[in-house]
Amino acid sequence: MTRQGRLGMSLCAAALVGLALLTFYPFIFMIITSLKSAKQYYANIWLPAWPLHLENYQQAWTAIAPYMLNSFVVTVASTIGVVVVSCLAAFAFARMSFPGREILYYLVIFLLMVPAVLTLVPTFLLIKNVGLMNTLWALILPYIAAGQVLSIFIMRAFFASLPEELFEAARIDGASEWWVFLNIAVPLVRPVLVTIAILQVLSSWNDYVWPFLVLQSDSVQTLVVGLVNFQGRFYTDYGPLMAGYALASIPLLILFFVAMRSFIEGLSQGALKA
Amino acid sequence: MSEGARSGALPLAGDRAASAAARRSGGTLAKARRAFLAYLFILPTIALLAVFMYYPAVSALYHSFFDWDGFTQATFVGLGNFAAMAVDDTMRAAAVNVLKLAAFAMIISVTVPLIVARLILSLPGARAQYAFRVLFVIPLVLPQVVIYLIWKSLYDPNFGLLNQLLMTLGVQSPPAWLGDPNIALYAVMGIGFPWVDGFALLIFTAGLQSISREIIDAAAIDGAGPVERFRRIELPLVIGQIKLILVLNMIWTIQNFTSIFILTQGGPGTSTMVPGMALYQASFQNDRMGYACAIGMAMFLVMLVLTYINLRYIRSESDFAPRGGATAPGAALAKA
Repeated sequence: MTRQGRLGMSLCAAALVGLALLTFYPFIFMIITSLKSAKQYYANIWLPAWPLHLENYQQAWTAIAPYMLNSFVVTVASTIGVVVVSCLAAFAFARMSFPGREILYYLVIFLLMVPAVLTLVPTFLLIKNVGLMNTLWALILPYIAAGQVLSIFIMRAFFASLPEELFEAARIDGASEWWVFLNIAVPLVRPVLVTIAILQVLSSWNDYVWPFLVLQSDSVQTLVVGLVNFQGRFYTDYGPLMAGYALASIPLLILFFVAMRSFIEGLSQGALKA
Repeated sequence: MSEGARSGALPLAGDRAASAAARRSGGTLAKARRAFLAYLFILPTIALLAVFMYYPAVSALYHSFFDWDGFTQATFVGLGNFAAMAVDDTMRAAAVNVLKLAAFAMIISVTVPLIVARLILSLPGARAQYAFRVLFVIPLVLPQVVIYLIWKSLYDPNFGLLNQLLMTLGVQSPPAWLGDPNIALYAVMGIGFPWVDGFALLIFTAGLQSISREIIDAAAIDGAGPVERFRRIELPLVIGQIKLILVLNMIWTIQNFTSIFILTQGGPGTSTMVPGMALYQASFQNDRMGYACAIGMAMFLVMLVLTYINLRYIRSESDFAPRGGATAPGAALAKA
């Protein structure tokens, strides 16, 4: 390698490390601050200080643990819901024939263009009128309804791309449509199911405005809403506050490292169709 | 209708396969049974969409023509809500601000991730490249609200990191950032600095990687340097990805107001007001549900026009089609 090439490479690496440091600085600051007492914070805002105040985490955990459980229930239920419901519908739209198939499919994907803010007020009144306020159903059902649209759009294409011979062979052997769906079609689209599930987990876990509106009693609130309340309560007591933020980030980080490869590949795939 | 005519009118990819299956199955009874099963498959989808998407959407359209507080009898006002919107100072501020935010988001979401993608691919070794990609994608999976809250405390005028830094550097009276009407909107834009958007980065890296080796080698033989190569070869070949990111960011920025909600609630005054926030205030703080529905309709129409322009003139096909709302996985991710 030429000297110039090596110099260029080092510059690239240096630039990337610099950008990474700037990107992560707020999170590094979060971790450092989460281990300080208020006094330590005001004494020196930049550097870690000893002794470490691990009790900040204890305090934060007590405050946010119930919220975390609610978020967990909502996220798991809506993710399973989206995967099941959209798998069934996408398969029917891709590989079964029935009257009204096109019109129904277009009615589904038309919703890709309807912004969530448009339906915000009427959906809120609906939830209120049917008495689902302050229940986790108020999140789970709308999340499945909204989340399935993009999933059906993506998965229908995958189901349609499977070769018909696969299904033909099974049907000749007398397999039912249901058996074909469960044992042939679904296993073949598993990678895309994983991507869809991850995206749904992220959006359910992170949604803020909707749970803020429909969950007004503290005991059913989700994590991100709880965090904002927590911030209101502790305001400048940065130690426990930042410990709470750090704890709230852990579940999704774990998921990310478990499913990293499918996550990165799944998202990158969108690019090649562009 | 013949099969050809039907797929000509509505080209669904699975069409032929399904019609073949239908033809083969023969008997009317068998066909009816299959159709029944298909309806069972789509029943949950249709039921959920009818109740939680179509009913609210139609209700929003209907009530946008009414003066309505959400509880008592609504009064028909025709286009009154839309006329009121045109002369509403809050809405004007919201429209101007969202244009600025969208312009900024579109510029920054293409330039920074594209440059970072290019830098990453210049590194020797697939391992280092993968490691940096993973690193920059991590912020996507951190809760957005956490990111907003951390930045809110960094911007704190008295105890925030930013002003502590400025005071150490000798600045006598550092700005109040989110509290100063003249700079609050720019402070909102500053969030996430240096704006390496992980989603866009993945899209651009994949795009750059898909460029064939031969083209790059040919350019090298012709004596093109790295800058030349990027400008003349790589940039034109990732134009599809650039359009995708632009469209996703624009649509996302128009409707998102979670960041504003948490950071400023649209204030001070209306200096950071955006349409979504105005809709929220009209409905849940001022009980003007009809007016809020009209704001929602206006946003929907703007997005419909933008989508039309995109499909008609720009068109970039992708699995990650834009969808409205906080629940849009692709779009939400594009801007975590």
